[in-house]
Amino acid sequence: MMRSTAILLLTSLLGPALAQISYAQNSPAQDQDVAVVVNPKNPVIDITKSELRKIFAGEKRTWPRGVSIKLIVRVPGSYERVVLLRLLGMSESEYKQYWIAEVFHGDAQAEPVALFSNGMQKEAIGAFPGAIALVTPGDVKPGMKVLKVDGHSPGEPGYPVH
Amino acid sequence: MPRQEEDASVPRGTIRTCIHCALLALLLGGAHSWAQNTRPGDHETVEQLVQQIKQLQQQDLDLQARIKILEGQQQATRVTEADTASPPAPPQDAEKAPPPQEAPQHDWKDLRGMQWRGFGEFNYKVLDQRQPELGTDGFVPGSAGNFYSGDFDLFISARMSDKSSVVAEVAFGELDHQTFSVDLERFLVHYEFSDYFKMSFGRYQTGISYFNTEFRSAKFLLTTADRPLVAQFADEGGLLPTQAVGVSITGLVPSGKLGMNYLFEYGSSDTVRPDINGSGEVNDENNGNHINVGFFIRPEAFSGLQIGGSFYHDKVSNSTVPSPVRIDQTIVNAHVVYVAHGIEFLNEGFLLRHWPENSSITFNTPAFYSQFSKRFAHIRPFFRYQYANANIQNLFFEDVGLRYGPSFGARYDFSDSIAFKAQLDHTVRKDQPDLNGLQMQIAFAF
Repeated sequence: MMRSTAILLLTSLLGPALAQISYAQNSPAQDQDVAVVVNPKNPVIDITKSELRKIFAGEKRTWPRGVSIKLIVRVPGSYERVVLLRLLGMSESEYKQYWIAEVFHGDAQAEPVALFSNGMQKEAIGAFPGAIALVTPGDVKPGMKVLKVDGHSPGEPGYPVH
Repeated sequence: MPRQEEDASVPRGTIRTCIHCALLALLLGGAHSWAQNTRPGDHETVEQLVQQIKQLQQQDLDLQARIKILEGQQQATRVTEADTASPPAPPQDAEKAPPPQEAPQHDWKDLRGMQWRGFGEFNYKVLDQRQPELGTDGFVPGSAGNFYSGDFDLFISARMSDKSSVVAEVAFGELDHQTFSVDLERFLVHYEFSDYFKMSFGRYQTGISYFNTEFRSAKFLLTTADRPLVAQFADEGGLLPTQAVGVSITGLVPSGKLGMNYLFEYGSSDTVRPDINGSGEVNDENNGNHINVGFFIRPEAFSGLQIGGSFYHDKVSNSTVPSPVRIDQTIVNAHVVYVAHGIEFLNEGFLLRHWPENSSITFNTPAFYSQFSKRFAHIRPFFRYQYANANIQNLFFEDVGLRYGPSFGARYDFSDSIAFKAQLDHTVRKDQPDLNGLQMQIAFAF
């Protein structure tokens, strides 16, 4: 009885972590670069990985010309979401609690908009002048402007967002 | 003959039917046998596939609903704007991509309504000393142990424009006899000129410490079940003026990879602080206007590290005593914090300096806390050590004296918004028996 309870407890504790590891190992797009896209009218062409982390952590909230940054992210389960969490160094649970705290501090109005598809991300990028999102290069469409990160474009050696 | 052959063919049709039946039986039998012989791993695979199908069906429904909305809006408006400013997409993708289409801008609106959040807690606490200390949040001191509900916070925020917003936090706190008080913890109008200059007017929680700035008043955000004594809210016996009304300015300092931020506050604290030794006395500090200046850095090279400090000054006088004396109050704070990769390491030190005017006496009250925790899946064990040493002749902290000791326990997150915490405290008190306590808490956000 004790043994089965212990196994059950261990399973419940380690289950999510193992699932995450399994996802990471089995995902065909594990090391695929992810493009950083913004509204085409955004004058920025290059940012650093550190700036990108600050932007998606809500620490940097305006573009150089004063336009408010609008964060667009994908829902859990997508590769872009995995890359986002990797960029921030957080688990899914930590990410959600982080944004609860950010909103409660008054630093953010709400958790970033989470969208089901890259098509919806494209719409949102076009709609908000300050929008920024992560998109797999295959889903980059006209109407999205791809930023260089640390001087590299997606697919180039040294590109740091994957 | 052909006729006969036809007659002879009747049995062949029967045979064909029999063969079909046999094949069907074999197939059904095989399927049944396969279903019976499937291994547990296959069941999991099937369940995963079913889950994926359900998710895809849900996404399909969402997309269909979305398409209907877009079609309806396109029929209604028939507005198409050419976007001449759009540069071409990367060459590698442009070939695959469909013809450019302007996004339906009217479909995406920022929410301008009020956003609500709630935070709550339920507690059980027991102390090994019957001699009462200060009871807060509904805890009845001197009892063997009791349940209490603590604070119930309603947090409201509303965006007024792209750069301005309003934030309000109303806390319903349990008092003795299960009565409740209402406190407007925060009420702020916030305006962001840029990352370098953000202003807030109203009632705010002072940036006098990392803890007060980072965790505010929601217990759900704390790893531990309570705040360290020095960072406790003043109306719950804490040593710092934790709330004020005035103006607060924050922002980035152009400092490259150093990631420096500044903080400037000017306001009135008007702190009322009850004694924590159970005497029942209350100090109304009747503060003058305070000034608080702080800086902190978040170096890019060490993600998660924050080092900073602040300088606070005002003049206080205890209006509850006859002929009160004005006292210079200066509070210096420094913190080194690392929060990343599941690790939380908080270290914060304070020096509270009180100098009665026209006097040669100065009272120094040093205090610090250090807290370490590490997350393992849903569990986060923690350890905290705190220290405060106040002169008992200091009119404001005569109830504090020397106190120090460890706390340890664990937080278990049932989900992203419900947490259970268990905490053991051992507090050494000068000239009084040591105080041991057990706290259990369910904290949640919604």
